[in-house]
Amino acid sequence: MTDIAVVSVTTAGPRRGWRSLGTWLGAAVVGITLFAAIFGPWLAPHDPFTQDLTRRLLPPFWMDGTDPAHPFGTDQLGRDYLSRLIYGARISMLIGIAVTITSGVIGIVLGVIGGFAGGKVDDAVLFAITCRLSIPVVLVALAVVGLLGSSLTLLVLTLGLLLWDRFAVVARSTTMQVRNLDFVAAAWCAGCSRGYILAREVLPNIASHLAVVATLEIALAILLEAALSFLGLGVPPPLPSWGLMIAEAKEYMFFSPWVIMIPGVALFVLVFGINLLGDGLRDLLGTGERS
Amino acid sequence: MSATPAIEVKSARRTFRTSGGLFGTAREVVAVDDVSLAVPAGSVLGIVGESGCGKSTLARLILGLLPTTAGEVLVDGQRLDGMDRRFRAELIQPVFQDPFASLNPRRRIGDIVALPLVAQGKFAGAEIGRKVAEMLERVGLASDMAGRLPAELSGGQRQRVAIARALILRPRIVVCDEPTSALDVSVQAQILNLLAELRREFNLTYLFISHNLAVVEHVATEVAVMYLGRIVEQAPTAELFHAPRHPYTRALLASVLTPEPGLGVPDVGLGDILPDPANIPPGCRFHPRCPVAIERCGSVAPPLLAAAHSRVECHLAVAGAA
Amino acid sequence: MSEALLDIAGLRVTFAGGTAAVRGTAIAVNRGETHCLVGESGCGKSVSALAVMNLLARGASRSADRLRFAGEDLLSLSDTGMARLRGNRMAMIFQEPMTSLNPAYTVGSQMTEVHRRHKGSSRQVATDRAAEMLARVGITAPGMRLGQFPHQLSGGLRQRVMIAMALMCDPELLIADEPTTALDVTVQAQILRLLAGLQRDLGLAVLLITHDLGIVARVADRVSVMYAGEVVESARTNDLFARPQHPYTRGLLDCVPVPGKIRPGEPLGSIPGVVPRVRAGFQGCGFRDRCAFAMPECAAEVPRHAAGEAHDYLCRLAADWSGLRGAA
Repeated sequence: MTDIAVVSVTTAGPRRGWRSLGTWLGAAVVGITLFAAIFGPWLAPHDPFTQDLTRRLLPPFWMDGTDPAHPFGTDQLGRDYLSRLIYGARISMLIGIAVTITSGVIGIVLGVIGGFAGGKVDDAVLFAITCRLSIPVVLVALAVVGLLGSSLTLLVLTLGLLLWDRFAVVARSTTMQVRNLDFVAAAWCAGCSRGYILAREVLPNIASHLAVVATLEIALAILLEAALSFLGLGVPPPLPSWGLMIAEAKEYMFFSPWVIMIPGVALFVLVFGINLLGDGLRDLLGTGERS
Repeated sequence: MSATPAIEVKSARRTFRTSGGLFGTAREVVAVDDVSLAVPAGSVLGIVGESGCGKSTLARLILGLLPTTAGEVLVDGQRLDGMDRRFRAELIQPVFQDPFASLNPRRRIGDIVALPLVAQGKFAGAEIGRKVAEMLERVGLASDMAGRLPAELSGGQRQRVAIARALILRPRIVVCDEPTSALDVSVQAQILNLLAELRREFNLTYLFISHNLAVVEHVATEVAVMYLGRIVEQAPTAELFHAPRHPYTRALLASVLTPEPGLGVPDVGLGDILPDPANIPPGCRFHPRCPVAIERCGSVAPPLLAAAHSRVECHLAVAGAA
Repeated sequence: MSEALLDIAGLRVTFAGGTAAVRGTAIAVNRGETHCLVGESGCGKSVSALAVMNLLARGASRSADRLRFAGEDLLSLSDTGMARLRGNRMAMIFQEPMTSLNPAYTVGSQMTEVHRRHKGSSRQVATDRAAEMLARVGITAPGMRLGQFPHQLSGGLRQRVMIAMALMCDPELLIADEPTTALDVTVQAQILRLLAGLQRDLGLAVLLITHDLGIVARVADRVSVMYAGEVVESARTNDLFARPQHPYTRGLLDCVPVPGKIRPGEPLGSIPGVVPRVRAGFQGCGFRDRCAFAMPECAAEVPRHAAGEAHDYLCRLAADWSGLRGAA
């Protein structure tokens, strides 16, 4: 048995180097974006809302005719593009994290309760998951925002109430696995209460799986926010969301392609980075379980 | 020997429903079928049987981890059903088979051993620390182990941790479910010796479940043999090993391979039909494999023949006694 | 004595992490004999077998002074040459038959495939052979079993199927890695009896890997005891149980509860400590940390002593040294 375990670990060896490079890359992207989001007001060279109609659509630094004061140029209203990008990171990360916390709380509570209790309770949770999976997220989000008007809070709540399914599915299946392990039985026999066992014995052992889900959900929420903002139903202007920046830039893309390229690339790199980080976490999990 | 048995099981029955998949029909599996037993305080009841015979389910019923479908379990004379969990924890504790699954991989050894004390909610932090250190030392672990994680320990060390956790509340009864099956031979002996010492020191009652008959003979004062959810024979250890009455017990004993060269592999005389808990044969449930079955065994369930300290369920034992 | 069927000397396996799993193992399996490789988990017994079959995982490196099978040098054999031997002239069965049988194919198609590949036989010939082998391993209604999938069989039946499949091509050597560990005691006895019978009737050489000294005593002709990647003692079975020489062998024998030898309730002999993980470059006796008779010189190269005909052991102590049995 032990021999086999040793063998399987060594086979994983050569792939881990490449994988960990990706993980580090992802962690770096996420780290830089988080840093920009938190320290945005100190980092941004200009106020992202100040318009200067005399300096509209200035090109970024790698093109001709740039202004050193605006390294990423300006938009159609003459606002500094770098500053808007930094403030946009704030909005993206804020929405990604807030939505994930909301959906995480709902999904984890449902999933853990269903997986731990089993029986009728679990049937109810499964039914709720199935119902949720039958709801078209984008359509409902569009309808809600269309009816109630766009605001940051509403967007977070709407997405948060819709994106909990993956959390619930993963929390439920991992809880069912952990519940049947002997250390949970030992905790019962030790006289621990149900709540204590859930919080101290089960949750820490499924937390790493949930962390992987969380990274994927953050990426998904950021993309959905961008899509909704692009359609004009997400973050209300003049807030600088990346999706909104893309939407506002689409009319100028033929003559000033950078205005759509810069937020587009930023969005791609951030989501790509988050997914790389998620993959890395999953790998760490796979080899970290049971020596 | 006190009058109240440490463990008393009265006509316990436990069934499970298995779903037959999308198109199959759900089946009922009888894991424990009308089992009654009493373990006198201070003794060791060994339970032997092959996989699927219900011995682990019986252990879980006695630990209160599973409710009985019918019948009841009494621990120290009190009904387990509805017993306060803290009170139960002070009476009866488990040691499980797989030391890799029985310790929470995310918690430190000290916290794992302290868990039953913490759950009681009446001990101060300093007292818990002192008791944990004492108990770790008693089971042969250095006190600096308290800060380590289970992954840093070997299988034998982990099993010592599990034993320390089981004994920290000084319970009267310990249910050992295959405590040494996952361990190497040299480590198995260490753990068996430790369990024997602790039993004398703390005056414990053990329910000792194992598939290894040599181990059971070594530790148990009395042995019950389970087959497909029922106890088919129970007797004091020496009696059961020297004069087995049930053909299944005889087959089990015959299949023990003691390290004595030259004897070869014995013919246990059992057929190829293996027991299936979802499909229990009529009459005596052992008759399809029994080398000495007679016609009646296929249709009539054998009666229980009980004496003071032994009992057996077999038609032929009746004939032998007559 | 004629040349051994399987002749291993100085076999070394090192894993990528630097763990020396096998450190200079020498084993000789003669034609028609059962040779038991016994030891605790992590001692290198399974890895040795996998190294012989060249089935080690990536990242493990193998070297040997001598590795010969029926006079053929396995070290210089190509991968295709090795594949031609495996399952044909040397076959292997594992502890958990479910993982070595493909759940997606019937028993019959898996059994015939081996024969058709190695012997180039027709489907009909191979099917007849499969039915014959199933009957040979004591399976009733072999025709029906050939059409079944592995999950429809019980553990004991699956192990019989594995044995039948291993014997499809009339191998000269069968390597069995803990073949009965996952089985119940009664089924274990049946399977071992079957293996012993087949071995006798077919003149097979069997290399049986086990941790169970009871199995060793009952089925082996010769025994090699492994510890920390080395064969620490090798002898004929009767000799080993009557006159164990290495402190580890003696300690191991004391650990097993034997009716009549140790009375119920008395403490068993035990070996303190745990099985070590040995790194490459380790010197001296691997058992010295747990040995009651260890001396400073045990950290240096340890001599291999002879204790009679075909009986040798790896220890500084002279043959038939006296020390209280169980004092360790």
